[in-house]
Amino acid sequence: MINYKDRKGSKKDRAIRKLTLLIPIILLLFIASSCIREDEYANNPQGNLDALWTIIDEKYCFLEYKEINWDSIYTVYQKRLTTSMSSEDLFEVLGDMLTELKDGHVNLYSASNVARYWSWYEDYPRNFNESIIEDYLGTDYRIAGGAKYKILDDNVGYVYYESFSDAIGNGNLDEILQYMAICNGIIIDVRNNGGGNLSNSTTFAARFTNEKILTGYIRHKTGKGHNDFSDPVAIYLEPSSSIRWQKKVIVLTNRHAYSATNNFVNSMRYLPQVTILGDKTGGGSGMPFSSELPNGWSVRFSASPYFDAEMNQIEFGIDPDIKVDMLSSDEDKGIDTMIEAARTLLKN
Amino acid sequence: MQANRYLMRATMYGVGFANVYDTYLSPQEYVGTDFRISRETMRITKLFDGNVSVQNFFQANISYTHNKVDNNNTFAGLVNWNYGLHYQFRITDNFKLLAGGLADLNGGFVYNLRNTNNPASARAYINLDASGMAIWHLKIKNYPIVLRYQANIPVIGVMFSPNYGQSYYEIFTLGNSSGVVQFTSLHNQPSIRQILSVDCPIGSSKVRFSYLWDMQQSRVNQIETHTYGHVFMVGFVQDLYRIRNKKGTPLPSAIRVY
Repeated sequence: MINYKDRKGSKKDRAIRKLTLLIPIILLLFIASSCIREDEYANNPQGNLDALWTIIDEKYCFLEYKEINWDSIYTVYQKRLTTSMSSEDLFEVLGDMLTELKDGHVNLYSASNVARYWSWYEDYPRNFNESIIEDYLGTDYRIAGGAKYKILDDNVGYVYYESFSDAIGNGNLDEILQYMAICNGIIIDVRNNGGGNLSNSTTFAARFTNEKILTGYIRHKTGKGHNDFSDPVAIYLEPSSSIRWQKKVIVLTNRHAYSATNNFVNSMRYLPQVTILGDKTGGGSGMPFSSELPNGWSVRFSASPYFDAEMNQIEFGIDPDIKVDMLSSDEDKGIDTMIEAARTLLKN
Repeated sequence: MQANRYLMRATMYGVGFANVYDTYLSPQEYVGTDFRISRETMRITKLFDGNVSVQNFFQANISYTHNKVDNNNTFAGLVNWNYGLHYQFRITDNFKLLAGGLADLNGGFVYNLRNTNNPASARAYINLDASGMAIWHLKIKNYPIVLRYQANIPVIGVMFSPNYGQSYYEIFTLGNSSGVVQFTSLHNQPSIRQILSVDCPIGSSKVRFSYLWDMQQSRVNQIETHTYGHVFMVGFVQDLYRIRNKKGTPLPSAIRVY
């Protein structure tokens, strides 16, 4: 049994007890006053424009490189808002605002539409005819992972890879390269490949180098300022430990080779036995992130820029080593000018 | 009989409200439902003449939350383990205050079902917490109950966080982990876990009802996060006595479990 005197304790004990009570109370008050909450925007035309403008202002990675005056763009598009405008009209205004970024990785998604900027290939020659590709492949081509491949009658290997979203594993690549071992060279056609997974791009390119080589750099934003970037981090292409191709390679490109495909072309162009042939690629060197608006529309934007090995921007594409366009006279005859140019080059 | 061999063990199950916010994924707070389990043991140690208790508290939760217009969802989960000591100030026979420190380990994720290249955010942080507790044994019309309030506040620690606009591809595939582990304290991680519980004897069992207010917040690498949970839990409390069997003598077969 503890009597009252014992409970009261010494002065030191009482001080300790008071401190024991006081410290948690102070900490509780501090925590209660330190709530980390969202910046709320109203779900109306003004609130949605403000939210979208802020996302791009703080997170988009090419505002300085593209010399975009984002403040003045706000003024221009804010004038197009009305309080009673329809959802479709608001979508058009916000979509138009994003078009100012001239970026294929920038989209606004509503339930009824996708705002996009596709001029990076729509304004240029198509340089690709799918039905002609089907003629070249015939009906007896092989498929491994996302690649369709065949040995053409002049002993040239032809690989068509239409999307880096389609996985291609090391097992697939072993089979393709073994099958093509008898060829004089191979054509890798990545025209109209709009990109996908960067890992597929790297896995594929690793089959064509015997050495670790520098292919580029990456940076990321470190804060909300337009110029807040990390130091560049070098990106190396490491040789595959499995079958590696030692003969000539020609990569076919057009303006619709974008994003991860742009990255693949960038890696391949540093390899000595590889020639890039066709049209300039579409670019798309900013790794995209997603965010959203108060009304639930999703927005995608470039967040983290890739550079080539000389720290040049490749957002607007990579020039080929040999510029070749499809000739309409060839197309009329079912001939792919670019494949034929590649075959000729491989024979020499 | 030794005091340090008495063990209180409670296993709890709960459901409640969740609010998840992570600016790496979205500028919006997502709200929804939190499901949680916890397991706790406490016992007196021999330290400071038997005035120090050890607490071992494990909890895991998963939440399913929605954005404001309810056209997108996130899943979030966290596993949390606290282990530490409290000095017990016995104010009266029925009331005591506990003060001490806990190791506080956390690992989990937030997964946004719509995002493409930034679909998920990892949670990994370790803290040293200041912890306080009040335990009051009382009777209401001769019905004995035990009230407890506990608050744990992270004071110092380290936290994993990607840099502001950095992809997980850059961190884990390209291997650039610079700046992804940051020092944390009250200024950038003002968080608290509070539990209010009442233990009620029902027959020969003891049932515990508790309200858990879990407030985890951070502002690291200019990325803001919070996970708020208001969870009502229920479970059973067991009072156990640990028997030490140093010689490893087999128990009589009549009482062996296996």
